[in-house]
Amino acid sequence: MAASNPLANWEKVGDSFYRKIPVYDAIFDEDVELENYIVAGAPYGGAIALLRDESKLYRYQASPSSRSNIDIYSCSGKCISRINWERGAVRGLGWSDKEELLVVSEDGTVCRYFGLHGDFTSFSLGNGAEEYGVRDCRFWSSGFVALLSNNQLIAVSKYDEPRPKLLAPSPEGEVSSWSLIPPTYTLSRSVEVLLAVDKTVYLIDPSEAEDKVLQNGPFKHVSVSPTGRFVALFTGEGRIWVVSSDFQSKFSEYDPKVRTPPRSVEWCGDDAVILAWEDEIHLVGPNGVATRYFYDGRVHVIPELDGVRLLTNDTCEFLHKVASGTEEIFRIGSTSPASVLLDSVDLLEKKSPKADENIQHIRPSLPEAVDTCVKAAGHEFDIYWQKRLLKAASFGKAVLDLYNSDDFVEMTEKLRVLKAIRDYQVGLPISYEQFIRLTPEKLIERLVNRHEYLLAIRISEYLQIPADKVYVHWASQKVKVSNVDDEAVCKLIVQRLDGKPGISFELIAQAAFDEGRSRLATQLLNHEPRAGKQVPLLLSMEEDEIALDKAIESGDDDLVYYVLLHLKRKLPLASFFRMINTRPMASALVETSAQGHDTELLKDLFYQDDRPIDGSNVLLSEALSETDLQRKPEKLHLASRLLSDSKDPTVVLQQKMLSEASHLLKVQESLDKDIADRTEFLGLSLNETVYRLVKTGYGKRALKIQSEFKMPEKTFWWLRLRALVAKRDWGELEEISKNKKSPVGWEPFYNEILGAGNTKLASVFVPKCTNLPVDTRIEMWVKCGMIVKAGEEALKTKDVNTLELLRARASGPAVAQIERMINQLRPRR
Amino acid sequence: MAPHSGPDANYFKDKARRDLLNLLEGVRGKKNLVISQDLAGPVGLFVKFSVLQEYGVDRVFLLENANVDSSQRNVVFLVHAEKIHHVRTVADQIQRLQRNGNVEHEFSIFWVPRRTLVSNTVLEEAGIIGDVSIAEFPLYFMPLEEDVLSLELGDSFSDLYLHKDPGCLFPSAKAFMDIQQRHGYFPRIVGKGDNARRLADLLLRMRKELDAEESSGLTDPSSRGLLPSADTESLIIIDREVDFGTCLLTQLTYEGLVDETVGIKHNQADVDTTIVGPTSAPQAQESSKAPQQTSKQGQRRKVQLDGSDQLFSQLRDANFAIVGDILNKVARRLESDYESRHAAKTTLELRDFVNKLPTYQLEHQSLRVHTNLAEEIMKHTRSDIFRAILEIQQNNAAGTDPTYQHEAIEELIARDIPLKTVLRLLCLESCMSGGLRPKDLEHFKRQILQAYGHQHLLTFSALEKMELLQPRSSATTMLIPTPGAQTGIKTNYSYLRKNLRLVIEEVSEKEPTDISYVYSGFAPLSVRLVQCVLQKQYLFHLTKGGPAPASVSTAGSISPGWLGFEDVVKSARGATFSIVQKGDDKAVRARQTLSGNNATKTVYVFFLGGITFTEIAALRFIASQEAPRRKIVICTTSIINGDRMMEAAIEKGSFTKTE
Repeated sequence: MAASNPLANWEKVGDSFYRKIPVYDAIFDEDVELENYIVAGAPYGGAIALLRDESKLYRYQASPSSRSNIDIYSCSGKCISRINWERGAVRGLGWSDKEELLVVSEDGTVCRYFGLHGDFTSFSLGNGAEEYGVRDCRFWSSGFVALLSNNQLIAVSKYDEPRPKLLAPSPEGEVSSWSLIPPTYTLSRSVEVLLAVDKTVYLIDPSEAEDKVLQNGPFKHVSVSPTGRFVALFTGEGRIWVVSSDFQSKFSEYDPKVRTPPRSVEWCGDDAVILAWEDEIHLVGPNGVATRYFYDGRVHVIPELDGVRLLTNDTCEFLHKVASGTEEIFRIGSTSPASVLLDSVDLLEKKSPKADENIQHIRPSLPEAVDTCVKAAGHEFDIYWQKRLLKAASFGKAVLDLYNSDDFVEMTEKLRVLKAIRDYQVGLPISYEQFIRLTPEKLIERLVNRHEYLLAIRISEYLQIPADKVYVHWASQKVKVSNVDDEAVCKLIVQRLDGKPGISFELIAQAAFDEGRSRLATQLLNHEPRAGKQVPLLLSMEEDEIALDKAIESGDDDLVYYVLLHLKRKLPLASFFRMINTRPMASALVETSAQGHDTELLKDLFYQDDRPIDGSNVLLSEALSETDLQRKPEKLHLASRLLSDSKDPTVVLQQKMLSEASHLLKVQESLDKDIADRTEFLGLSLNETVYRLVKTGYGKRALKIQSEFKMPEKTFWWLRLRALVAKRDWGELEEISKNKKSPVGWEPFYNEILGAGNTKLASVFVPKCTNLPVDTRIEMWVKCGMIVKAGEEALKTKDVNTLELLRARASGPAVAQIERMINQLRPRR
Repeated sequence: MAPHSGPDANYFKDKARRDLLNLLEGVRGKKNLVISQDLAGPVGLFVKFSVLQEYGVDRVFLLENANVDSSQRNVVFLVHAEKIHHVRTVADQIQRLQRNGNVEHEFSIFWVPRRTLVSNTVLEEAGIIGDVSIAEFPLYFMPLEEDVLSLELGDSFSDLYLHKDPGCLFPSAKAFMDIQQRHGYFPRIVGKGDNARRLADLLLRMRKELDAEESSGLTDPSSRGLLPSADTESLIIIDREVDFGTCLLTQLTYEGLVDETVGIKHNQADVDTTIVGPTSAPQAQESSKAPQQTSKQGQRRKVQLDGSDQLFSQLRDANFAIVGDILNKVARRLESDYESRHAAKTTLELRDFVNKLPTYQLEHQSLRVHTNLAEEIMKHTRSDIFRAILEIQQNNAAGTDPTYQHEAIEELIARDIPLKTVLRLLCLESCMSGGLRPKDLEHFKRQILQAYGHQHLLTFSALEKMELLQPRSSATTMLIPTPGAQTGIKTNYSYLRKNLRLVIEEVSEKEPTDISYVYSGFAPLSVRLVQCVLQKQYLFHLTKGGPAPASVSTAGSISPGWLGFEDVVKSARGATFSIVQKGDDKAVRARQTLSGNNATKTVYVFFLGGITFTEIAALRFIASQEAPRRKIVICTTSIINGDRMMEAAIEKGSFTKTE
């Protein structure tokens, strides 16, 4: 290849250089008259959508194809696909980062075309869009804002789950131009809109509209730089201003000296503004310096993050700022180390000894020079110069003892990829910077969308990224277009994808199902390793049982629930139960979710399963939650009736207890009637009922209930004891103490009464505790404060030591008494 | 291989915090936060309310209270998506706000831990899925402590064993996948119990799916997680079902007893201010402590109980018997520290003292709290009811004939002690001796129904479903210790008691030599099982009286699963398994040579269905013995104790009119 001048097309703007690189030529056919089209280009060198501009007059063509089409072209002019548009006037045409085409019609319908081939989803903007009509739209990488004819703004910030949201109400008046700041660059993290109304600009976000108070309007153009830091304004006097996006400071001003306002104002990178007229372009750099380009025909400007693409009928060019490294190397008269290094390669080829001299000269800064050459190679579009620069770098690093070649190797890999995709057949004129930002994965996605499967696989393998998506897309496409029989297709696909890991057969099966080939879908699904993935598709294919099994197999209870919900809605109850019956996890989940939510279902389930106890339990809990007093016994009755046929002892007990419960309720009801108390008996347990009766002095009734319910004697005694103590009914307790025997023994009496603080009465029970050891009894006496009695106890067992201990604790006359007891024991010794 | 090397606890804490705050930041402006009860506590573990406020949260509502109002335009819901009734409640509340509010609301829902298909369906049915923005908040493991990770799924116990709903397995598996992606695959998964087996299977399946999803077949050495980990040794999964008995016993460590008496939730204990004094100012009127258990209008104060409290870390795992001693010692030390100010002569020394003052004050404060708390517990433990309960428990644990205890239990019922305590005793007996005699069971059923209300018929059927309280199937089978005769149906305590030396009479509570100190003489079976894997030598010595282990540290560097205890372990309930996760041999060996063998290896011990504080203490005890070579990270679905187990079963409704 002949060496082109690296400085060709360089243009000095202020301190820096800009260059315009011709990427493709002879792109569009003669009959595509670009001036009659609205052009929208996807970011990162993506596809271009052409839509005939309705406002332009054009030659009438009889062919129906010209009706209303959106044509999608690659940058090299290859027609990728043609989309029929029948939804009326288009008010917005734009792209997302994922190369999805968005078309907004006047009535607020948004169509999102993904995959470049006419597949689409649509949604409606709502919020009054239908009523007022959409006027215009602005797009950013993952969303857009629509301007309605009543100046209202609607923002959509993501496409997979679009939620059109109204922004704050905007001021009335003629909108002369507008633009938006993407959410990533705003403080509020949501999209903000700059709306030029009358003489000023409003900043509108979801919560408020702020007037920036400018006087130089009406602004014919408002444009925000790619990083959202600067705003270019085209003033009423026909000047262009560059201000910070908070409108606090003005950086430069430029007067194009053209009477008509430009057709569009775009940013070229972050530090130059492009003004475009029909066939003229002004590039305005910092400080208002500018350069101009002239064209023969209509030129369209497509902004990129590091430059702009310029599209005319026969060329596609890329205009961008020359990177500092490139400038350093190629600039005329440059003596930078990198430049010298590049020269030395020439000299080396000429076998000139000067090569070595040069190298020695720049030796100290050689590593940087190599780095610069590697980077510059990346920014170069011309293959000749890429090679030269890499050669220089390679030469330089050969001289160095130690150099990490990773960057170099990576760059060569990336350049190979870039070369392959910049080819006019593929038509992705992407700059190095854009490639890094886009990421290789997304690039492969784009290739796949263009059906460049082989290239996509080659690149994935080359860059070592998973290629499964490529295979899946290929297979789905295969399923769609092939018309051989199912077996053959399935075999072909499985064969081709054999041994390729990570293949999602579910997606392929989905594609087959969408095509109406459900048999093929089932076949394909069998190859899907992830059980969970298969479930939703199986459901939509009405393979209910398999879906349920797969869901259970996946162990994901959410999936199981999902299937169950679906089945419950769909199947008759009997067959639903049959299906879950054999699957314990499923029936457990059904039971749990129905608990307290759908008791009828539970009853049916238990009835069908022949589980009477569970069934009666449902009725029992219904009885509990029943608010109507009359219905409680009814439910209890029902519950017990369910159990009536069984001979099983547990069932019999259950039934007995249920009837006891309703009996108790009845008794309590009559108690409530007889005893007008503040609180009710109803709902208390049997023990509580007895306790309360004793406490309120209805001992007889308590006794009656005890016998009625066969309450154990012990329990009753305990209850009575506790109730009487709580009542402080010492008289009654003393009465009880006259009994000979107590089923609970007498110690509890002592303890409880002592606990209530009545030592005197407590002491009455000490002598009755004959079963206790002596020292315990002594301690009991002491606790009642009756040292003498304790002493007597000790005396009986002739325990001098204890007596002596007691003496120490005694006081008053007790001392003497204890003394006497000790003496009683002592003399005999 | 591990991209982040910090301890798991910090990693998970930071991650949860970051994730939540990012989500909140995504909702612009002030917002009201609606949070479900079961998340409010856990969220407090990693982010403070004041921080939430900084991120625009104006007011917090509990989902269960259903009182969110229209005071803010933005309403954010933070709710578990796996619980259908919660999802329905969210849908209802959104609809309510939409209907009656005159404010145009912006709704956001952050589903924890993932957005589910069911939640989508429910919102769709309610017709609001288009009106809310939905995000996921992947919250799995939350660190309770440096060495304790919990999923804080409070319902996991009742879900697993009462409803037989394995809902918590999936998040558990996810959580462990997180850990595996951080550290590499567990070289070995050892486990006991049917649910544990299911979890392990799920983990294997997820690994397979991940492999299928991630690897592209191209040998990419840096692709994560393909290899068994170099710094983890194994994952031990213990299904709670294997050992219900242990957690039915009253916990006897300090932390355990605090949990039993006042309750610890998400590292916080809710204590009456009359016990520990109000939040800041010290109160001198300690004498006025009312012995009321249910405070009527007494204010409650949240006491933070975690490792940040130095004194508490000292106390928590000690047997309660020696807590008093420790407190005394600390009190004396503090006093002498204070006194040191008199000794300070130079200004330098004085300044030194003043600098230390805040620490002293902090310590002092915590000392006061814990002394009061300990006193309160002491009051409880000294009561004759507590002693009666403990005696019954100890007898059951020791394996004496349970029928001797029946009279005591009857008396307790008549004395109207809390139902859960009675049930705990009965369940303990049922677990330890393979069920109650049908006649006895019937008798107790009748008594309890009469004492506590007939609604507890439901309680009994729940307990039976959980297999906690059952009639003995045939009178003899469970009492005769048959080595490994029937496996998997029930845990045979009487056999294991002997073969794993669960009961150790002469345990020193002061200087424990065995984990049995946590129950004053009974070693938790669950932790003994862990020892079967980790401390084989020690156990051999203990059970067979074989050669004393020269030192604990010689006990083999790599534990090959259950080796040596296969037969014994069979007598515990459920499946037994030990799975080796292999990776590319060459890579493993290469890494072994790279990392060397002297590194500390981590063992993850996961208690599926819940863990008690005593078991944590016992595991920590093992960890301290294994210290330089092994690190034990304790993981669980939630913290549990016997009361909480019973509460899962106890019917809350009653026959009262009002309700």
